[in-house]
Amino acid sequence: MRSIRIAREGMSALWANKLRTFFMTAGTIAGIAALTIIMSIGKGVEKKVAKRVASFGYDVIMVTAGGGKGFSPPQEGITTLRMEDAEAIREQVQGIEIVSPFAIKRDMAVKSGSNRQSASDQTQTIVMAGEPSFHKAWGWYPEGDPITDEDEATMARVCVLGKNLVRDLFGTENAGSVIGEYIQINNIRFKVKGILETRGQSPMGDDFDSRLLIPLSTGLRRTFNQDYITNIRVKVKDPGQLVPLGDEIRNLLHERHHITPPQEDDFAIFSAAEIAKMARGVGRTLTILLVALAGLSLLVGGVVLMNILLISVGERTKEIGLRRALGATRKDILWQFLAESLAVTFLGMVLGGSFGLGVCLFLGKFTKVPMALSWEPFALGLFFAFIVGILFGNQPARAASRLHPVEALR
Amino acid sequence: MIELDGITKTYTKGTVTTQVLKGISFRIEAGEYTSIMGTSGTGKSTLMNILGCLDKPTSGHYHLDGIDMINLDDRALSQLRNRKIGFVFQQFHLLDRTTALRNCLLPLIYADHYPDDAHKRAKKALEAVGLSDRIMHRSGELSGGQQQRVAIARALITDPEIILADEPTGNLDERSGLEIMAIFKRMHSSHKTIIMVTHDQKVAEQADRIIVLKDGLVAEDRKTARSRHSEIEHQEMADKERRK
Repeated sequence: MRSIRIAREGMSALWANKLRTFFMTAGTIAGIAALTIIMSIGKGVEKKVAKRVASFGYDVIMVTAGGGKGFSPPQEGITTLRMEDAEAIREQVQGIEIVSPFAIKRDMAVKSGSNRQSASDQTQTIVMAGEPSFHKAWGWYPEGDPITDEDEATMARVCVLGKNLVRDLFGTENAGSVIGEYIQINNIRFKVKGILETRGQSPMGDDFDSRLLIPLSTGLRRTFNQDYITNIRVKVKDPGQLVPLGDEIRNLLHERHHITPPQEDDFAIFSAAEIAKMARGVGRTLTILLVALAGLSLLVGGVVLMNILLISVGERTKEIGLRRALGATRKDILWQFLAESLAVTFLGMVLGGSFGLGVCLFLGKFTKVPMALSWEPFALGLFFAFIVGILFGNQPARAASRLHPVEALR
Repeated sequence: MIELDGITKTYTKGTVTTQVLKGISFRIEAGEYTSIMGTSGTGKSTLMNILGCLDKPTSGHYHLDGIDMINLDDRALSQLRNRKIGFVFQQFHLLDRTTALRNCLLPLIYADHYPDDAHKRAKKALEAVGLSDRIMHRSGELSGGQQQRVAIARALITDPEIILADEPTGNLDERSGLEIMAIFKRMHSSHKTIIMVTHDQKVAEQADRIIVLKDGLVAEDRKTARSRHSEIEHQEMADKERRK
């Protein structure tokens, strides 16, 4: 094909002037590499966010004792959230499936073994005290037996453990084997009833699987020695109603706690949207900003490309005149220079994409930067390469094609 | 066959208009070897560009093999140049950093059909101008005379009817010039129509015919001694035939 032969002429011009070609590609390489890296990090962040939200629950409203804007563990010593609040929500708010109050306490000393002598090294972890509804409210069930109504009624000294905690306490990967064994929480003996299934990282960033669960009554009266709870987990029937139900709960608690805004709340309400926002942090805005920056560098690269190509057209007027004399039409010249421009940007795309991929692999392997590789940045890179090639090759190619053969040969 | 009829060419630069060609008419038969002479500024190059379909006259008609090129568009003109005309320039105009072979192939890039035996043809063309040992040399590695020979091979590769040469020996030393003129003589004997612009009287006399331009008009149009000689030879041969 004639047009392929002509495009090939452009390629050999690029090959013959490697340094010039390199300068032409540099901008595209930088732009596409930046685009690939930034998009992969952005994707990684989104993936992390999705995971956090999934582990929190899409149909859940969490009431936490203590005010403040950030999603944080309940503050120590906030005594305002009570079982009666959970009762009120259960009775007065429509459209709710489960209301599960619980109390958690950080840095509890936990050991394995049934008495002090046989106890292992102690470890510190988060102890959750929850009602039997805990399992359903969290969608988090144990191997072995769950916490039951009977446990709750009798303040039973029983517990279910996260898998990582089992490993830390008993040094075994076979979690099932420790059912029926004993552990000590603050030197009080608890029987292990079950092992919680793996859940991963909590929205706060700590490990769910290092936690343990005991009955709420046991926790409040025997272990924590308190009459207030720290959280109420509310599972709604329709995830679409999260926002209005959250508002309803807030109003109810305002009323019960005698708070009139702008007075500060002594509790906080979170659902998936807030968790996502928090997990993202400034990530999303930053990603958008950086993508824009990468776009800008592509644009600058395009302008550089255009200028070098324009200079090259100026240097190659004789060549253009000669080609015209030998039978090249105006369109042939246009196409040759456009092909050169496109080849440059595609080369830039391949090199920039590979470089970006390399950096992504490196960051993914050796740093904690969230990173998710996908085809999108490469598809976008290809698209940009094409656009930049056409957009910025157009003017030089037109300038070349407009040269009069007689003038060009002079 | 080339036919010019009242060709004029006017350039306008700002408010100044210059008429470079003021009405040129002549006819060149197929296979003729013609030199165009004249002092600089008499319109030789302009005429050459028009003959090469690189430029259009302001008025007049130019028929190339019966086709009036005045009415042709860019594509048709380019095609015409590609098929019918081989150019040889004073400055050679080879692509630098490119081998003799690839330079030679260049016109075929723009042909409608790229022949399967293109490489073979290019090699043959280069052999014909005595460069069989320089095929893979880049243009920068060749002497002036060798470069001009590559350019001639390039002009011949599409097997055009007409060779247009603009001062082909102007940038060469005498010995190289003579070599080039010898190649032109051979092209002539293989029935190419050759039109050559030159300053050099000695070079011009190599042709059958000399057209001298002066102030944009044809001042002189004569057969050369060489041509008369060959005509006499021709005549004598014919006479001999008749006597038998």
